[in-house]
This record gives sequence, C-alpha cells and structure tokens, in this order.
Amino acid sequence: MAFDDAQAVSDEALLVAFGNGDREAAQRLTARLAPRVLGFAVRSLGGDRAEAEDVTQEAMLRLWKIAPEWRQGEAKVTTWLFRVTANLCTDRLRKRRGVDLDSVPEPEDHAPAAVDGMIAADRVQALDRALGELPERQRQAVVLRHLEGMANPEIAEVMEISVEAVESLTARGKRTLARILSGRREGLGYGSQ
Amino acid sequence: MGRSDETDRNAVMLEDVFSAARDEAPVPSQALLGRIMADADDVTRARDAARAAPVRRRGAFAAIAAAIGGWPAVAGMATAAGAGVWIGVAQPPALSTLTGTMLTGTTAQYQLEEFAPGYAALVSFEEELAE
Repeated sequence: MAFDDAQAVSDEALLVAFGNGDREAAQRLTARLAPRVLGFAVRSLGGDRAEAEDVTQEAMLRLWKIAPEWRQGEAKVTTWLFRVTANLCTDRLRKRRGVDLDSVPEPEDHAPAAVDGMIAADRVQALDRALGELPERQRQAVVLRHLEGMANPEIAEVMEISVEAVESLTARGKRTLARILSGRREGLGYGSQ
Repeated sequence: MGRSDETDRNAVMLEDVFSAARDEAPVPSQALLGRIMADADDVTRARDAARAAPVRRRGAFAAIAAAIGGWPAVAGMATAAGAGVWIGVAQPPALSTLTGTMLTGTTAQYQLEEFAPGYAALVSFEEELAE
C-alpha cells in the first residue's frame, strides 16, 4: 500500500493496530504524521532540515515502540508525538548552544528588493529567520498555533503548561515577529503604508 | 497613522506570512519515509522475537531459594549452618563451660574468664591493682 491516508480511521486506532502487528497501519500513520512532525521540527530548529529529519525519525521510532502499550481514549497521538518532538528539539538546541552559537545565521540586512520579484518563498524565508530570533518556547507556541493550526488547549498539553501561558507566549511571539518583519515590509511586498 | 492602524497592518501581514508558510510546509523525502518504516519493521521484528522466545524454566533449587526469600536468605542460612558446624567441632572454651557446668547443675560461681578466656589477663591485672 502506498503512503496514502484514510482519515476515516483515527490515529489512535491505527497505532493500536500497529501494536497488534498491522504494518499498513504504520504506513498510514507515517503518511499522516511525518509531514507535520517534520514541519514543526524544521521551524523549531531554525530551518535545519537535516537535524529536523533526524528528530522526525526519532520521534516516530518512539511512537512505534510505545504502540503495544497504547490504550485508545487515554491520549491523542498527535499531542503525545508533538510533545516528544518539542522535547527532542529542545535537547538539540541546548547542545547546539553549547558548541556552535556563532554558526547560527545572522538575519539578513533589510536590503531593498524589487517588490515585483518577491514571492511567497521569500516571505516564508523571512518568517523562518524571524522565528529563529524568538525565544524557544515562544517559537514553539507560535508554530503550533499558527502553522500547525492547533487549538490552545492542545498546545498547552503538548508544552505541559497552562492555556493562559500559551496565550501569553503566542501573543508575545507574534508581537516580536511583527516588529521584526515590519522593518522589511516593503521588501516583502507589503508596501510602506 | 495611528498605533492601532499599524497594529492592524502588522496583523494582516503576519497572517499572510503564516498562510504562505502553511502552504510551503516541508515535505518529507522518500528516503526519510523509508527510514521511518524500516524502524517500524525493526520494532515489529524485535517484538515478535521477544514473544517467540521460550520462557526459561526455573530449576528446583532456584525455586526453593525463591520460596525462602531469594539468594540473600540462602546465604544467611549457609552462614548459620557453617557457624553451627564450627561450634560443634571446635567447642570454644566459653561454650564448653556453659554446656559442661552451668547446664549440668553445679552451683559453683562463674568468673568472667570462664566464658571469655581472652579477658583472663585483664582480670588478673585488675586483681593485682586491687592488692
């Protein structure tokens, strides 16, 4: 079976099926969850694709290992998986801080660029760089809320904090992002007014 | 331009940038998907192997040891048995005094050194001092 997706079956049911030896269930879970985990990891790690792939593989491996013990109704697979991913990213960032702080790319100068030449990819790149300037927890909250589309209560479970704390982190994160990106408004094709 | 206008413009810009980022989410390579499935297969194989492995039967001696509290209890019993044999064979003076006189009904007064011959020199020294 190809890496397709059948939304009719819940993640939890698929994980229990894999725990009982159903390989196809693992394929469907991989197709469904790996892209989301990778996206979250890439942005949590400041755009480091190779490291994000390692984190994704490790998070999925932990999911496979816990499958036989999973009980439906106890937790959401996505919540558990994103929490594992967030912790793995935090570990990697801590190690990175210790060894190669200087290698973190500096944000580009606000060099003027032709508005017509700006495309969505440039905006995404600018967002990734701006996200890289946020404190880690603010970055995770903003990515989960605005890029993964999670609701605040689920983010609170993933990050193991209160809903109020999530609201505060995302609000502060967005204010900082707006401040950083507003300096590049013209360059990103939004005009000066 | 007022502060709220600026805030609104930034909110619109941010939502636009978030939307572009959602549309350009990273796509896992086939190599990564393959590695993830290979891990799933490894985990399944390891689990099946663990289920298929024969359960090791416990020997009779190990079963007895477990029944009386495990190997620490067996070690304690062995030490006690060894001490018993030694006492029987060596018959330390203090013990022979106890079994040969006290427990056979004599009415003699017993001195410290009879039970602990090692203290005999100390007792003699104290007596000399007293004199």
